[in-house]
Amino acid sequence: MASSGEHSGHEKHSPLDQFEINPLVNFEVGGVNLAFTNSSVSMVITVLFITLFLTLTVNPRSIVPSRMQLISELCYNFIAQLLNDTVGDQGKRYFPFVFSIFMFVLIGNMVGMIPYQFTFTSHIIVTFALATVVFIGVTILGFVNHGIRFFTFFYIPGVPFYMHPLLIPIEVISYLSRPISLSVRLFANMLAGHTLLKVFAGFVVSMPFFTGVLPLTFIVALTGLEILIAFLQAYVFAILTCLYINDAYHLH
Amino acid sequence: MNNDKNSIKDLKSKIETIEKKNKNESLPKKEKALNFGFKISTEIVAALVVGVGIGILVDKFLGTKPFGLIIFFIFGALAGFLNIYRVMRRIEKQ
Repeated sequence: MASSGEHSGHEKHSPLDQFEINPLVNFEVGGVNLAFTNSSVSMVITVLFITLFLTLTVNPRSIVPSRMQLISELCYNFIAQLLNDTVGDQGKRYFPFVFSIFMFVLIGNMVGMIPYQFTFTSHIIVTFALATVVFIGVTILGFVNHGIRFFTFFYIPGVPFYMHPLLIPIEVISYLSRPISLSVRLFANMLAGHTLLKVFAGFVVSMPFFTGVLPLTFIVALTGLEILIAFLQAYVFAILTCLYINDAYHLH
Repeated sequence: MNNDKNSIKDLKSKIETIEKKNKNESLPKKEKALNFGFKISTEIVAALVVGVGIGILVDKFLGTKPFGLIIFFIFGALAGFLNIYRVMRRIEKQ
């Protein structure tokens, strides 16, 4: 950004520039654009970091853990506890799935907090894809567990029969809205937070004399809040996945 | 005299610990409120998006132009309220 600004004199910097996707390696298969973009770089960094961090820190397998091993075990315990509390014993099977989603979102958000790094969770298509995987997986799980009886999920017992034509569409729409609310929550939080950071960063430069210090201090506080939100949203994503898995087991 | 001083010191430390506790409790509460508001709004919007989407699709394929959208918009809004009711019930349980 800075180098291109020098050439063109004064270039306009939009707070939304950070979300721009730039293809690094162009690649196309059968008319489908599969370019390797800056978003992909962030994802690769995230996955590599998670893999290396978890394998290397747990590798010594010491009974008295080192600090880093403790962090890995903390992550493990956090999700294991969450699954145990929400789903129960049957939930243990889905630990790898929930743990991967949680770590991917969490580290993805955290990688986005590093300056000049791209935040891939701030794109609705990424979060929507994640939410769709959860949604389709949970629906299949419901059908595997209950067969055709899964449709009774939309049927509320103890209601007068003439209310059902009204209630069943509402239940179905409510069920279909799950992936949308799940993805929009994560995406909007990350988009809003990062935009706000850039807007205030713009104030630092444009305000006269020393008054730029004020937005700067605000940015420092906001960065802390953003790190909290990054964790919170990953947690919300994981806990909702657990709740949906629970719903697939226990209809009502 | 000495006893009085000690009791005052005790009281002071008590007040300080209670104040600390209150501070620790009030901070996450604010965060929770922020998160809660956001949760509620996304639930409504998501249900409405699905309702309107289904309504438009129904109109397109059945040719019932305004009515599908109107009916499914209302269904979507009701589903949004249902979502919020579920979220509230989950919070009540905790």
